Amino acid sequence: MPDSKLMTLPEAVARFTWDGMQYASGAALPVGSDAIVFGRELLRQQRRDLHAIFHCNTQQLNLLAATGAVTRAECGFSGLEVFGFANGLRRAVESGRLALEDYSNLAMPLRLLGGALGWPFVPATVNIGSDIQFRSAFDPAQPPCREKIPSVVDPFTGRTIGAFRPLTPDLAAIHVTLADPLGNAIMLGTEWSRFELSRAAKKVVLIADAIVDTGCMRQFPNLVRIPDIIVEAVVHWPFAAWPQGSPGMYDIDEAHMTLMNQALATEAGTDAYVRDFVHGYRDVASYLDMIGRETCTRLSGTATSFLLDPFRQWLLPAEGTAA
Amino acid sequence: MSAQDYTRQEMMAIATGREIRDGELAIFGVGLAMLAGYFAQAHHAPRVRAMTEGGVYGATPVGGLPWGIECNRISTNATSFTNAIDALGYLVASGRCDVGIIGAAQVDRFGNVNTTGIWDGPIGETYRPPKTRLTGAGGANDIACGAKRTLIMVAHEPKRFVDKVTYISSPGYLEGSDARARYGFPGGGPAAIITTLGILRPLPDTREFALDSWFAFSSIAEIKANTGWALEVSPDARVAPEPTDAELAALRRVDETGALRKKN
Repeated sequence: MPDSKLMTLPEAVARFTWDGMQYASGAALPVGSDAIVFGRELLRQQRRDLHAIFHCNTQQLNLLAATGAVTRAECGFSGLEVFGFANGLRRAVESGRLALEDYSNLAMPLRLLGGALGWPFVPATVNIGSDIQFRSAFDPAQPPCREKIPSVVDPFTGRTIGAFRPLTPDLAAIHVTLADPLGNAIMLGTEWSRFELSRAAKKVVLIADAIVDTGCMRQFPNLVRIPDIIVEAVVHWPFAAWPQGSPGMYDIDEAHMTLMNQALATEAGTDAYVRDFVHGYRDVASYLDMIGRETCTRLSGTATSFLLDPFRQWLLPAEGTAA
Repeated sequence: MSAQDYTRQEMMAIATGREIRDGELAIFGVGLAMLAGYFAQAHHAPRVRAMTEGGVYGATPVGGLPWGIECNRISTNATSFTNAIDALGYLVASGRCDVGIIGAAQVDRFGNVNTTGIWDGPIGETYRPPKTRLTGAGGANDIACGAKRTLIMVAHEPKRFVDKVTYISSPGYLEGSDARARYGFPGGGPAAIITTLGILRPLPDTREFALDSWFAFSSIAEIKANTGWALEVSPDARVAPEPTDAELAALRRVDETGALRKKN
């Protein structure tokens, strides 16, 4: 019988992160799945000088950028969709504290795919011809930039295309709906780029909204897109993507999305946010108190909750999932 | 239907939706683009094969304007969830997708789109942070490269309609004429820029955008005054039909929370 990989959040951050690392979060959806609570713990443990690999900006990157913990970032999209611009990230970029390298939403997962496959480069048929190819925040002195997405010739047709640099982040913290204690995971909603990210990263830690018995994985093996053999640790943390949403589990906390983004627009607001919502809890129970138990109940009443129905019989009680 | 009965944003969404034909494979961006696309599905294109770049298929929004391409409001009645490489790669960058709708902070005379940042003047030789950082390209660059037709939705204001965008986030016709051919994109480029005042389409040779139609509440003069280049007017330019009762009813069913009715 393989060992359980259940671990507390503070221990996972202490063991698998360090200053200056290349840190990726999944799914890195701007209002949906993302390992946001992992980012809060990165701040609690005062990690610095992070190089963030985020398919899209999320409230996590917004927060890590606002506090100055991230100095380099690579993204396909840097807003919060209908919630607007990401004020914390925006402030960090505009002030020059953070170098943001732009790609597109297809380029980022293709680069993860290239990293996962060990390819030297990925053929680029998008992003070429635009300033995404010609301008680089990491290499600003070269116009037009020839290192970021260099031109290459398709050996079959002679067409000039581009070459994407593959990504192999040091760590991927991946938010999933359901995990078993061994590290098998089921994601409800779009998986976005979590499949590629889980194979591209040097190490993977899962942050699961709920823990299920392995029998669940045996019932739905086609849905297990992240298998245990590539996972280092499993953290159980309800409302892990809060204030963003998680299909089948909880809706977006619209009020907190707005409050958080407004707070991150200024240094003083960011300090207050960190005090109240990064250092404002000790454990899962006080985290849920911080969100508000009534809010948790309301958000759990999501119209998507039927998506969880086939899996409910395998849900493990919280006492059984403490690391 | 008189001009007082609908907003400019509603007219823009309806005019955009009219560009979508039944049965097409279509990808909708977030926000207004999604409302325009699902309006088309609710009104005249029931068999449109719609997806979001999140890889969410078969869904119609529930409970109001979705907050994003992945949000629960679009996950409630989906028939398939896949991933980004699937939606933006297999179905869009490959050249299979018929039509995509994107937004813009700035658009220029050749339909190039900037959603990355606003600089105080030209960027210059050395790249530098923008004065105002925007959202970046997202999936719009992939749609602009791969979709057979791209529709650009943008509020018609002088600061948005510029002679040349400072930064090309998503390619239109680049420097015009056949400049796109250098890159061999499978997509045909922007078919129309649909604004809060009218519709612009590319001229056949230069690919410069010219005025195709104006809305009942606007005029050629108002559109020219809000466009940052010497806008040509097509010889057959005309007023676009006003929304029908059926169109407005369909749009408002999709726009349940009235996002398009708030601003005018």
